[in-house]
Amino acid sequence: MIAAAQAPVPATGGPPVSGKLVLGVSCTIHEAQALRTQLLAQADHAGPYEIDGSGVQQVDTAGVQLVVAFALDCLERGVTYRWTGRSSALEEAIRVLGVGALLECPG
Amino acid sequence: MTLDLTQFHETFFAESSEALDSMEAALLKLSAGDADAELINTIFRVAHSIKGGSATFGFSEVAAFTHTLETLLDELRAGKRRVDAALVDTLLRACDLMREMLAATQAKKRIDTTRVAALHAEIELIMETPADAPAASSAAASASAPVTPVTAVLEARSGWRVQFVPGPKLLRNGNDPLRLLRELALLAPCEVRVDAKWIPPLAELDPEECRLSWRVEINGPVKEAAIRAVFDWVEGECDLNIEAFGPAHDAPATAPAPQLPAEVVAPAVPAAAPAVVPMAAVAAAPPPAPPAPVHAEEAPGAKTAAVANADGGSIRVSIEKIDELLNSVGELVITQSVLSQLAASLEGHDAEELRNALGQLERHMRGLQESVMRVRMLPISVVFNRFPRLVRDLGQRLGKKIELRLSGDSTELDKTVLEKIGDPLVHLVRNAIDHGIETPEVRLAAGKSAHGVIELSAYHKGGNVVVEVTDDGGGLKREKILAKARERGLVGADEELTDERAYNLIFAPGFSTADVVSDVSGRGVGMDVVKRNIIELGGHVQIHSTPGKGSMVRIRLPLTLAILDGQLARVGSEVYVVPIVSIVETIQVKKELVNSIAERAQVFRLRDDYLPIVRLYELFGVEPEHTDLLAGLLMIVEADGKRVGLFVDELMSQQQVVIKSLETNFRPVVGVAGATMLGDGRVALILDVPGVISRAQTTTPRQESASRAA
Repeated sequence: MIAAAQAPVPATGGPPVSGKLVLGVSCTIHEAQALRTQLLAQADHAGPYEIDGSGVQQVDTAGVQLVVAFALDCLERGVTYRWTGRSSALEEAIRVLGVGALLECPG
Repeated sequence: MTLDLTQFHETFFAESSEALDSMEAALLKLSAGDADAELINTIFRVAHSIKGGSATFGFSEVAAFTHTLETLLDELRAGKRRVDAALVDTLLRACDLMREMLAATQAKKRIDTTRVAALHAEIELIMETPADAPAASSAAASASAPVTPVTAVLEARSGWRVQFVPGPKLLRNGNDPLRLLRELALLAPCEVRVDAKWIPPLAELDPEECRLSWRVEINGPVKEAAIRAVFDWVEGECDLNIEAFGPAHDAPATAPAPQLPAEVVAPAVPAAAPAVVPMAAVAAAPPPAPPAPVHAEEAPGAKTAAVANADGGSIRVSIEKIDELLNSVGELVITQSVLSQLAASLEGHDAEELRNALGQLERHMRGLQESVMRVRMLPISVVFNRFPRLVRDLGQRLGKKIELRLSGDSTELDKTVLEKIGDPLVHLVRNAIDHGIETPEVRLAAGKSAHGVIELSAYHKGGNVVVEVTDDGGGLKREKILAKARERGLVGADEELTDERAYNLIFAPGFSTADVVSDVSGRGVGMDVVKRNIIELGGHVQIHSTPGKGSMVRIRLPLTLAILDGQLARVGSEVYVVPIVSIVETIQVKKELVNSIAERAQVFRLRDDYLPIVRLYELFGVEPEHTDLLAGLLMIVEADGKRVGLFVDELMSQQQVVIKSLETNFRPVVGVAGATMLGDGRVALILDVPGVISRAQTTTPRQESASRAA
């Protein structure tokens, strides 16, 4: 599940953001289609984005892969993003799957 | 869209059941003192797979129990604990319990948590003893129990490179690389490199298809089998390449992994690394080639690899699909037969060529039919595999020393036949152990070896499968059987029987086995039920016995239930198929041998027996050619020990017929086993002889006429 706040979120130190992406409690294959739809909707907005993964409690490869695909899309489009938080469950999944570097925005 | 994992439950239960069978077989080999590392790995892999699957599907009780069991097994694999008879006993009971837990889960019934908790506690107690000492349970084991250290046969390598490329269905099938990589990390420190170059743009990504792949370097003394065990559940759903490296392994890696442009070493690559992912360039690129295989002879786990490869050549297909295919082939055979009959009456040059071509078609059809039937065939080892455990347990319980010999266990027969032959065989083997094999003292006194031998063998013979259960026990007590049979009126007081008929009395219905069968072989099932089950399969059973030397029960079974050897018989314009296995003989009736015992209820004398006459035209309400018994023929048929004479107009040819279920296509009819289509396109009913006999007994001609009139 994901909630994408379309209203601009006030910048807190970084560049201004036009969309805040809040990853839901569960980011697994069960929610994968919905997560993809929400990420695509988010991509319709110009960046940069803020991604909040602090609430993620269940995550699997399908969920992480979608976020990686989103991050790579951002890279393609030259859009920057930054993480405002990542839960321990999400951190562990990112570490185990070895995708940490893919989720660091170079900007 | 959410993924419905329940669709995989059946596969999980079926695979787990097979896996538990192999675990049990491996444990039984271990108990015989064969501490092959591969056996221990097999046992571990089963527990591991079931744990993984149960956890995935949320069967938490099964997962928790197998987790504890797996921990114990891991100590065995690592050589930290010794295998002894008591430990094997505990593991066998764990195997039984897992089977019960899975069966309860499958049937959505409550798991017996008290038993689970008890065995769980027992396993934990074993693990609480120092790991390098014999297991706790072994303290109670007899001193003569085989004690086999397994350390020597397990050799570790200093490091491994694993390339793991998930297949397109891996995620959909409920598997998660995250879980697999987590498990790898438990084996030893891992360096994980992800390859993201096959990830398409988000808009084109199927979120249920894994497009990431990984290379993992495992740095530690881990066995290859332990790595493969992690991927057990995804075998066939991914490309997996495992290479050893490090000083303990001097063979060079034979398949160096290609340099992957998008690979990322998680802890080391700077944040800019994703920039190397050429998204647009690779979107249309072909998928990666499968990794080159490791040279088996150089790999430390060569045996494991070979086993895994051998298993990789099969697919699981539902029996319904095969039956559909078999059914279609059956239809084709009938069509081809119709064409052949039509062509037979044609004349001229073209007709001859047509007949030749049809002859060729017939040969190809037979080939096709045999091939499809072979798909339904399974080796009889599926049934035989349960016997080592049964013989071991029962022998221990009865204080008998028994050696079980299996031969021909690769003999194949139809899956349905296999499923139905299991219980009769169990009954025969139990009987052989209980009544056949003597106690060691009795055997020694009779000049035999203390160890009794039970032999189960299977082989093909003349289009049938023969299964023999042989024991070298005391043999059947002919006089005791005869006395009992006379007492029950099965044999006349002065009647003398051949050995064969006397021994076959034990299969007679009503031949109570109450005082000859103990609780072991009793189970409320008599030998008559064994025989009936075999006859229902279209089989035949014989018994041979030599006093003091032992007995042999020989079962002859058809290769398949889809085809039947039938005798065609005509009644008026109708043709019926009578299973040849049920026919004793066919005779012309002489007037003086027929007696009327009531209005139209007649019997006739066949040697010393009086047999009821069943007029098929009355039973099925058809117009016959003959109603006069002297004008037609009597087929003597037998079922359940009862014989009757079926009155028909004429016998036709014998032929193999393809059975079509009446139950599926119409509704069950007493006395009819199914239907088939003949070469001329006519439908013929296949008689169910026991049903015909019971129908003839319960329906008098008068009632039948009345019901027809109504």
